[in-house]
Amino acid sequence: MPKRKLIPLPSAAFQILLALAGEDLHGYGIMRHVAEQTDGRMRLGPGTLYSSIQTLLEAKLIEQIEPREDAGPGTARRRYYRLTSAGRKLARSEAERLADLLRVARSRRILRGEYV
Amino acid sequence: MSEKIYTWLLRLYPSRFREAYGEEALQLVRDRCRDEKGFLPRLRLWLDLLSDLALSVPREYFHVQPELTAHLRSDCGPSLLVLEDESLGRGALLCGGVLALAAAVSFSFLLNHGVKQVPLSALIRPARGAADHRSSSSAAQLRERGGDSQERGVRRTTGQPPATANSSPPDAVAPSNPEAPRTLDRPRPSVERSLEASHVPRTSRTDANLDRAERQRVVDRAVANLKRHYIDPHVAQKMADALVEHEKNGDDDAAADGQGFADLLTRQMRDVSHDRHLEVLFSEAPLPERPPAPPGFTARYRKALEEANCTFEPVRVLPHNIGYLKLNSFPDVSVCQHTAEAAMASLNHADAVIFDLRDNRGGSPGMVMLISAYLFDHPEYMYNPRENTTEESWTRSPVPGNRLADKSVFVLTSGRTFSGAEHFSYDLKMLKRATLVGETTGGATDVGTFHRLDDHFGIGIRETTAINPYSEPDWAGIGVQPDVTVKAADALEMAVRLAESKLQKK
Repeated sequence: MPKRKLIPLPSAAFQILLALAGEDLHGYGIMRHVAEQTDGRMRLGPGTLYSSIQTLLEAKLIEQIEPREDAGPGTARRRYYRLTSAGRKLARSEAERLADLLRVARSRRILRGEYV
Repeated sequence: MSEKIYTWLLRLYPSRFREAYGEEALQLVRDRCRDEKGFLPRLRLWLDLLSDLALSVPREYFHVQPELTAHLRSDCGPSLLVLEDESLGRGALLCGGVLALAAAVSFSFLLNHGVKQVPLSALIRPARGAADHRSSSSAAQLRERGGDSQERGVRRTTGQPPATANSSPPDAVAPSNPEAPRTLDRPRPSVERSLEASHVPRTSRTDANLDRAERQRVVDRAVANLKRHYIDPHVAQKMADALVEHEKNGDDDAAADGQGFADLLTRQMRDVSHDRHLEVLFSEAPLPERPPAPPGFTARYRKALEEANCTFEPVRVLPHNIGYLKLNSFPDVSVCQHTAEAAMASLNHADAVIFDLRDNRGGSPGMVMLISAYLFDHPEYMYNPRENTTEESWTRSPVPGNRLADKSVFVLTSGRTFSGAEHFSYDLKMLKRATLVGETTGGATDVGTFHRLDDHFGIGIRETTAINPYSEPDWAGIGVQPDVTVKAADALEMAVRLAESKLQKK
């Protein structure tokens, strides 16, 4: 039984990293951000979300932080997650890899538009 | 509603996931339920949840915790992979307990009912016809060499040499066949062969050639033995006179064959003395001068006994906690004391006991006393017509730790119950300690000491003086009457019924 791998980075994990790049979020926040940034195409279910979070935590790509003090009632028990520097680095390298792919796609005229 | 269903669905995840994220996952569903109202959004929510479940549950089960993988990677030999790190739940314990119980119950059921018991004879008999290196096979061969009538004749006497009279006669019992030790009394093959070689006059006789001279010789020697050994000289003289008288009158001429002649003489003696322990015996094969055990016989006998678990069949506990012990002989105490004690110990917690003596051809009085001791809480006198009354005639009761002294006892008998087994049955019946169920016993007349008269005739004379304390005569020649008469084959069933009804009354 192999440990779950992050190479290649699963798209759910990448989306989570991207969602956390802007601000620290709790689980539901991540889910909503991911839905937004994918125009509603990726709605992470709780199982996928939290198993991805777990994997990312184990790889120290994200970390869990104490609940924010300004959190209102009902949010007290929620755990918030923050991107680590390693996570940011990995997200960037993944984005660059995708950018490279995009360039290749455009050079092959599969995709129109300007080079990024 | 959705929340409740999802709470239930969460159980599909491994416990470590539920512990870490269950609450948060539920919170997420709660949040979505709160935010996504209406039919379509709710439908979409459930599609999301179910597809998520289908994908992530299997993945979670394949996900190994980091410390475990680290452990597996180290080269420290084989290790067990613990999938669940929480302690066992009540449900799992209950389920495991029930399964273990069912396994134990079915195993014991199989032991008691399903697995056919292998008869002891089957363990020993295979040696028969094989190389003669086991006592049982030599015993079998001896038995085959001896003719039927010899078997009949010799079987009915202890045949112990006078020199060992009154010492506990090993008068029965081999593991393979209860009669085998009686081969002690029989001609050994070597003797027999040498006798056959010399032809006259010591050949195996046919019944036809019983002549007047031999009859005369047999009568003379019988008279001499009676006068020398019979306990009452006055009666001995009267019997001797009768024998001589009949011989002179030509009453014996009617006896054409050896067996007939022996029976005739027996009748003549009993007519005078009314002593059923007196008997003239005929053997078709020549009787040896002395009947010593062949060299090594005792060792082989002991070994065969030990291998056959001393002819003790395993103790069974029947329904209603009725202990059942089938004794196929009363083997020598010196060899089998521990086996007997172990068998009685395993009967100790029974509420009633059945001794099955239907195939018991007798054995050592010491073993009869040893087993009887468990049935009394005080020393009890066990009358044995074959032995003078000594300290050994009282049971060594109570046996420490024994609980059978006040339990109901049933003894199963058949027409093949002989000798020592009759001793056991007779005394327990007379003492009202046991209920005998089955047939009248065989009525072995082996209470006398055997004296050789000539090559084919012998006489059994009882030389002991023990007085029968009971009004009913002992078993010699007539057997022991059961308390409840049924066919031997039905005896066990009947005894179980009796025991059950007795237990229910209590």
